[in-house]
Amino acid sequence: MRATVPVLLALLLVAVMVVAAGIGPYAIAPLEILGAVIRRAGGGEMDAAETVLFQIRLPRVLAAALVGAALSAAGAAYQSLFRNPLVSPDILGVSSGAGFGAVLGILLGLSVAAIQLLAFAGGLATVAVVATLARALRGGDLLVLVLSGIVVGALASAAISLVKVLADPYDQLPAITFWLLGSLAGVTPADVAAVLPFVVVGLLPLVLLRWRIGVLSLGDDEARALGVEAGPLRAAVIGAATLITASAVAVSGVVGWVGLMVPHMARLLVGPRFDRLLPASVLVGATFMVAADTLARSLAQVEVPLGVLTALIGGPTFVWLLARSRRRHLP
Amino acid sequence: MIGRNRCRVLCAVIGLLVVALPATGSAREIADSAGRPVEVPDRISRVFAAGPPAAVLVYMLAPETMIGWPRAPREAASPFLVPSARALPELGRLTGRGDTLGFERLMAAEPDIVVDFGSVGETYRSLADRVTAQTGIPYLLVDGRFDAIPQSLRLAGDVLGVGERGEALAEAAQAIFDRVDRTVATVPDEDRPRVYLARGREGLETGTRGSINTEIIERVGGVNVAEGLREKGGIVQVSPEQVIAWAPDTIIALDRDFTREVGDRPAWRPVPAVRSGRVFTAPALPFSFVDFPPSLNRLVGMIWLLHVLYPDRMPDDLGEQVGAFYTLFYQVDLSDADIDRLLGGG
Amino acid sequence: MSVIAAEALSIGYGSTVVASDIDLTIEAGSVTCLIGPNGAGKTTLFKTMLGLIPPLGGLINVDGAPIGRLKRAEIAHHVAYVPQAQFSEFAFTVLDLVVMGRTAHLGLFAAPRQTDVDAAMSALERLGIASLAERDIRRISGGQRQLALIARALVQEAALIVMDEPTASLDLGNRLLVLDTIRSLAVAGPAVLVSTHEPEQAFAIADQVALLGRGTGCEVGPVDTVLTADRLSRLYGTALLVEATPSGRRVVGAALDDPLSAPSAGS
Repeated sequence: MRATVPVLLALLLVAVMVVAAGIGPYAIAPLEILGAVIRRAGGGEMDAAETVLFQIRLPRVLAAALVGAALSAAGAAYQSLFRNPLVSPDILGVSSGAGFGAVLGILLGLSVAAIQLLAFAGGLATVAVVATLARALRGGDLLVLVLSGIVVGALASAAISLVKVLADPYDQLPAITFWLLGSLAGVTPADVAAVLPFVVVGLLPLVLLRWRIGVLSLGDDEARALGVEAGPLRAAVIGAATLITASAVAVSGVVGWVGLMVPHMARLLVGPRFDRLLPASVLVGATFMVAADTLARSLAQVEVPLGVLTALIGGPTFVWLLARSRRRHLP
Repeated sequence: MIGRNRCRVLCAVIGLLVVALPATGSAREIADSAGRPVEVPDRISRVFAAGPPAAVLVYMLAPETMIGWPRAPREAASPFLVPSARALPELGRLTGRGDTLGFERLMAAEPDIVVDFGSVGETYRSLADRVTAQTGIPYLLVDGRFDAIPQSLRLAGDVLGVGERGEALAEAAQAIFDRVDRTVATVPDEDRPRVYLARGREGLETGTRGSINTEIIERVGGVNVAEGLREKGGIVQVSPEQVIAWAPDTIIALDRDFTREVGDRPAWRPVPAVRSGRVFTAPALPFSFVDFPPSLNRLVGMIWLLHVLYPDRMPDDLGEQVGAFYTLFYQVDLSDADIDRLLGGG
Repeated sequence: MSVIAAEALSIGYGSTVVASDIDLTIEAGSVTCLIGPNGAGKTTLFKTMLGLIPPLGGLINVDGAPIGRLKRAEIAHHVAYVPQAQFSEFAFTVLDLVVMGRTAHLGLFAAPRQTDVDAAMSALERLGIASLAERDIRRISGGQRQLALIARALVQEAALIVMDEPTASLDLGNRLLVLDTIRSLAVAGPAVLVSTHEPEQAFAIADQVALLGRGTGCEVGPVDTVLTADRLSRLYGTALLVEATPSGRRVVGAALDDPLSAPSAGS
């Protein structure tokens, strides 16, 4: 039974992606999609339907899957690392830092690629500052690390607010607001191609160290007594999760709740062992995000911000998960 | 175009000195657009514009009375402004929430009056009352609705002591509206252009039908393809696929880079407006022709849009009309090169 | 053959010395009880012997090599740890927890295989809690959790198991069960170093006793020579006496002047 869960989740993801690729404001019949895919294999000039499919819809579905998988994997890793199921990938300030980078780019009127790059760099730099600060204060103490994350994250949020005040209220402020609410509306194939390697490189250490990351959730002393080099392992996980999250946020903007909620859903299916939790989280997260983004682009003619949708879905779902786990704890 | 303005500034400075010396403090009471009674000093030499829309209004009527900009115009806008307005300081805005200016700074600027141009709803009415109560500075609310422009010009002209100029501008504005109405009346419904407003460099922000951002497009008979969630409209984000589904035949862009790059973006290729090369950047000097700030700057935008949307129905020369508008409203004389640069998207 | 030997050891955190001059050698297959009042440094000594904190002075040799030179996995091959309590936020099963004991035997990038799961199951069977394998570790009794942690230490296949007050906060039945288990473990293989507050437990299971006093160093020796009324009284700062019950069990009691309790002293 346990071995079949990831297979079923993978099938579900593929099914949801296929359905999502068939939904959109530009009507394309299912047979036409099939035809387009076959014609595409032959190459040549694209017609409108093919452009919609291959330039807009499929990249967007892929980007949604990638972002969902990335945020969920990072969330699952952080929850094990910090021994706390209420931790999200933002705990060390990566989203605030990325947000500041992006918002600064918008204020300076840079190109989209440059804004994405600034967001990515902002996320990485913020976590680097947090880690350095925590190390200088008291090396290796988890609580100091979390507090440093909160402090630096708050500074980045304050900087975002400052940029909002400085920004042109007609021109730049809407762009800033939309970025901070998260969206995949403008995703291009190039974006997917640019982000994919970073997510894969970030996922690799998590996959390889899957067993040890689970052991680390017992706490430093126990994990070390069991033969785990806790310090280097934690540094590797933070580096990997930060790389993944910063890449995802650079392409999607700030999308909350996914990294917090999805690992819980996955844990219900496969239990807390990280070696089983990681693939389940990746698959559930990708499925969830593809579904959420399909809603975001098809609920109305205009985009519903992705971050708003994930919060609307994520909040109540999380309450339900908490209520459920509480019931299970009663004798 | 500079010389004439320098003379005008000199006159203005002398005039200022003359009126500033005998501070008589006499005043009259005027009802503003919200119906509030406002104690207006007889002589007004220092005006604080509460936000960018009000700044355009005050600039057009009496640039010499401005004590600063809520947001300083860009460097590129300088040649399109009278010299006295170019170097004015940036003072911040006073619009209720998210102010960038404290009352104390406002008092330190010693304005005779605060002018706000835009919504005259309850929020702004109460804000105006609070400012006056706390600072003693009169606060004039002027209706910013598009069709109210002639009246608003008359009201503000009267208050600022430039009644004649207000009347002249009001008539010119009314003439533009009449021209729009006459032209649009000749266009059958099925020939109305389907227009998409592309904001930002990606062009994926737009104003939905009924929004203040697109009312100028709708006013000149364009069909705004973006239908929003609510009647009043607002700025939203859309996907390229939705734009393809809307199939606009004309795109009005605010960002020059978008217009330049859109042809190279595969996702935009199926859009009819892109295929037929009907993507136009709204000129933006010294203020944008379309969208923001939502003020009198959009008057010239209507002239421009008529030419863009109905080239066959507008036999007269666009450049000439724009030049005349700038002379009258912005009080700058543009050379042919200036006009080319302006309309070329500079 | 000694599995671990401490010579002139000083322990503590940072620059704060908690205890010093500790000489302690533990032989294979023996049970050593560490007795001392609160704050004497029992847990600090354990952490030092597990290599979790560095010694402030002196030496610890594990299987003949200084502990500071060993990698974490190498230490884990020699010393296993049964912590006082295990709190997890996550619903690991008992089997999950025990399989984690195999970590030091797995490659850096490996996850446990079926053989590791089989080893965990047989450890659970040996301790009589195989039926709990799929239960949530947060939803079993304290005694059962101690047994699960002991099972985890067993599958680690270390020569020494260090247990930090395994009977604290257990009820009588569970306490006897855990003590019994410790005694039977040592007979079969790994040496056990166990800390306790109760000298009587040492009489019951220990081969040697280490008395760790506050700032008085560490006295090590056979139970009978070390655990005297005199030493215990000094250790805990109150008058104590050791006496044998009619069945031969030795118990420790307060030496009171109160005439009502006097008769037992003379019997």
